[in-house]
Amino acid sequence: MPVEETIKTSQHFVEKEPYYEAINDEVDVFSAAYNNHLPILLKGPTGCGKTRFIEYMAWKLQRPMVTVACHDDLTASDLIGRYLVKGGQTVWVDGPLTDAVRNGSICYLDEVVEARKDTSVVIHPLCDDRRILPIEKLGELMQAPPEFCLAISYNPGYQSVLKDLKQSTRQRFVAIEFTYPDSDTELKIILQESQVDKKLGEKIVKFGRMTRNLKGSGLDEGASTRLLVNAGKLIQDGIKPVVATDTAIAHALTDDPDMLQAVHELSRSIF
Amino acid sequence: MIDNSKQNFLNRVRVQKDLEGASGESAVNLTNIDTLVSEIAELTPEDQQFLFEQCRSLSETNDELLKSFVTQAPKAFSLMASKGVQQWVDNAITMYDNKGLGSAVEIIEQVEQYAEEYSNRGIRCDFDEASTFIRNFVTGLGGRELKLAVDSESFTDTESLYLPDSFDLFPVADKNFSLYKLTATHLWAQTWYGTWRSKVVEKILKTSDTNQRLAKFNRLECIRLEAQIERDLPGLYRQFRAMDSEETEGKKIWDDWKSRAARLQRPGAKALDSLELVDEFAEDIVLPPLQPYQGEMHVNRVYEILSERIEREKEEFQSALQDLIDDENSLTEGTEDASKKIELELIEDEDGGAGDTKFQMSLDGEIINIPEHLQDLLGSIMQDLGEIPEDYMEPNENGEYSDKLTEQTETDENDVASDGEDGEIFRYDEWDCTRQRFRQRFCSLRELSIPLAESEFVDETLIKYKGILKSIKRTFEAILGENRLQRRQLDGDGIDLDAVIDSFADLVSGNETSEYLYTRYRNKERNIAVMFMIDMSGSTLGWVNDAERESLVLLCEALELLGDRYAIYGFSGRTNKRCEVYKIKEFGQKYSDEVKQRISGIRPKAYTRMGVAIRHLGHLLNQTQARTKLLITLSDGRPEDYGGYKGKYGIEDTRHALLEIKQAGIHPFCITIDNEAQDYLPYMYGKVNYAVIDEVPKLPYKVADIYRRLTT
Ligand SMILES: Nc1ncnc2c1ncn2[C@@H]1O[C@H](COP(=O)(O)OP(=O)(O)OP(=O)(O)O)[C@@H](O)[C@H]1O
Ligand SMILES: [Mg+2]
Repeated sequence: MPVEETIKTSQHFVEKEPYYEAINDEVDVFSAAYNNHLPILLKGPTGCGKTRFIEYMAWKLQRPMVTVACHDDLTASDLIGRYLVKGGQTVWVDGPLTDAVRNGSICYLDEVVEARKDTSVVIHPLCDDRRILPIEKLGELMQAPPEFCLAISYNPGYQSVLKDLKQSTRQRFVAIEFTYPDSDTELKIILQESQVDKKLGEKIVKFGRMTRNLKGSGLDEGASTRLLVNAGKLIQDGIKPVVATDTAIAHALTDDPDMLQAVHELSRSIF
Repeated sequence: MIDNSKQNFLNRVRVQKDLEGASGESAVNLTNIDTLVSEIAELTPEDQQFLFEQCRSLSETNDELLKSFVTQAPKAFSLMASKGVQQWVDNAITMYDNKGLGSAVEIIEQVEQYAEEYSNRGIRCDFDEASTFIRNFVTGLGGRELKLAVDSESFTDTESLYLPDSFDLFPVADKNFSLYKLTATHLWAQTWYGTWRSKVVEKILKTSDTNQRLAKFNRLECIRLEAQIERDLPGLYRQFRAMDSEETEGKKIWDDWKSRAARLQRPGAKALDSLELVDEFAEDIVLPPLQPYQGEMHVNRVYEILSERIEREKEEFQSALQDLIDDENSLTEGTEDASKKIELELIEDEDGGAGDTKFQMSLDGEIINIPEHLQDLLGSIMQDLGEIPEDYMEPNENGEYSDKLTEQTETDENDVASDGEDGEIFRYDEWDCTRQRFRQRFCSLRELSIPLAESEFVDETLIKYKGILKSIKRTFEAILGENRLQRRQLDGDGIDLDAVIDSFADLVSGNETSEYLYTRYRNKERNIAVMFMIDMSGSTLGWVNDAERESLVLLCEALELLGDRYAIYGFSGRTNKRCEVYKIKEFGQKYSDEVKQRISGIRPKAYTRMGVAIRHLGHLLNQTQARTKLLITLSDGRPEDYGGYKGKYGIEDTRHALLEIKQAGIHPFCITIDNEAQDYLPYMYGKVNYAVIDEVPKLPYKVADIYRRLTT
């Protein structure tokens, strides 16, 4: 892969208002934290609207945003930047985090626990009241402007060892907890996102609840709003509801034949 | 002996009399009647009754056929369950009607052939085949957790669904399976749509001719529930309709009842409405016949369960509220005023299913999260009462109802201190599954050390397992080889000096320079900390203990090679007041002679209170830095301790402890030699997180290999 691409930042202004249905007081909390230059931790199960929320906030606060999808090979230098040798010369290239600090953007580190542990070295000083980014290789301490905001996301539901957030990290953040929305809100989201009619939407919501009842009794996680939206889209496109729930939801949740059968039958009982 | 034969004799006399009564002279005149009678006397009383009934109906059909049936009957019962026998007889009678005596007798005489066909047809669906599915399905539908049990009738007491041990109503297995599902669903609907609200139950019990009314109430509820299901679960509704009996007479009565009970079909109709309507059906003698999936009702069974549960849950609820307040107080230290007020508000009420209601809870006006167990409790209370009564909202420290377990074990409060050995005492919560909440700081645990023993044991083990050790080392070295530093990378964490110097040289001499100047580690960097938790309960005495110690020796050799951080602790204890873990090797410690002597000195102690050990060792493990953290238990059986920590309680607490450490990011794994472990380990550790080793001596061979698989 050419070097330029690995460090290209995805910084952009969110031009159009993203559709976001507030679940609690998260919009106010985020705004308040932003105004007070506090970093923010979005906590919650997969597919409950965290990414959508941050896009919405970026739009609302009129700040450009940089998203970094963290993976297990992501190091501190990937975030900060590094010297590259180009045609016999060394060139410094900012990483996405440095870039965000420079421009006063919102930097969103998605699934931050996936990243290597050494990333915390750069995150920590940015997150206390110093708000500085040490760029070791440049010998520079960069002071974050007031508009800069760091947000990270974290899913506490994963049981994997690789995905725990250290206390020393989490205690620096204002934590906003996301849960699946209540039935009415979830219905609104599904209607809006998948364009199914109300009656079908209600059934999809009901089905979602049933799968969540099975959490801990065979399923690690119930269907997320995202999966429900996906199923809605398939149905809207002419796929039979039971087939849509099987493909978009059941098989996305589990491989266990017993659970697949149960989820399939639950779907059959509603549609 | 004499008594026995006398008893047998009496039995035979009775059987002969009954047989005569059921089939008249003809059967009794059979030449081998004595043998037959004694064979019949061997059958269970139910089968005997069943046989006599068949005789009665056959005696009205044909005498020859009857005789041949009686001759074959003992054999038939030895080959088939009574349902099969029934079908065999029915088959013969149909044959008699259509083709005459000869063909019918042929069927009876070829009973073996029939029995084989019957079992081959496999049309039956057994409880065991259906139960896993039903459990999942009903859980998905919602509401409090329901148990499943076998009974001759289908009914529910609101805690369990009782279902027959098999269904063979239909000639297709799938349909019988569906019948199971629908029968269970119908009973679930009773618990979900408030058939057994406490007010309803009390009212039924107060009336005089309870059984009469109950039968009618059941039919009316069928009508109401059916309408609810049609609204909420249309797919299921269609499946119910497909299962209805075709019989026209019954259908007519149902239609009549339905039109007279139209108001039960409207949204919002309650079980009390059904009960009120019963009076309007007082004159009806003929009841609509129950469909195959519609169960019976046993109001007394419900009452027993209900009254106990309501009382228990009230106290649980009140003490959960108290906990909430305590938590709040501990946060806002100093300002301990008792006047904190908890309020509950219904914010979402769905038609019908009371378990689906959503609440908002506030403490002194501030909205708070309702903890999960309280949420479940609220749901369950709503299912019983349909509301949360005022007096439930009064927080209450401790009901007399709870803490039965504590009474047994908390008597020796001073016991801990009196042990002589001082040292820090750690306190841990224990999960009480019956109350669905923690017993706070219930367990006291100490860290003890193991007396040193001679270290020859280690050397002997190394010699004994020389061969296997070699191959262990070879495979582990191969693992290490995978993780080399990669040089000359396009990017990476470090500078590759060699490459830089090369490229500098290129630069100076005017050649094209390389951009591959970095080093990086391969993805699979080994960054693992593992905690071994060794079962030192009394039951490990002998072989198991030896095998455990030998396994540890081999493991240590392998781990030293890999460089993984590891610690070894034993655990045991007696009651919640004396939980103990034994230090064998701590994380920072080297694999020294001292450690070897400790391994050698591991000896069986007392019981297996597993939950607290997991919590403590998990806690220690969490204090070390590592990307991957493993807690591996070597054990010989299920969690069990003196004084109530056994069976479900022990398993649930252990499971809960494991969930807690999983949440903290630790991978638990269990290696056991208990052959029954399949019953409980998957539930505690998860489907893939355990290994059962069927023979003790194999343990040392297997453990290192399991560890390799786990960490690569
Ligand atoms: N509150 C909401 N408002 C609008 N849409 C939502 C909301 N919650 C969920 N969605 C829908 O669910 C989808 C998934 O949400 P999103 O991608 O934000 O999840 P996430 O929490 O970031 O998940 P992950 O942790 O897997 O990244 C969205 O594309 C959107 O369709
Ligand atoms: Mg996301």
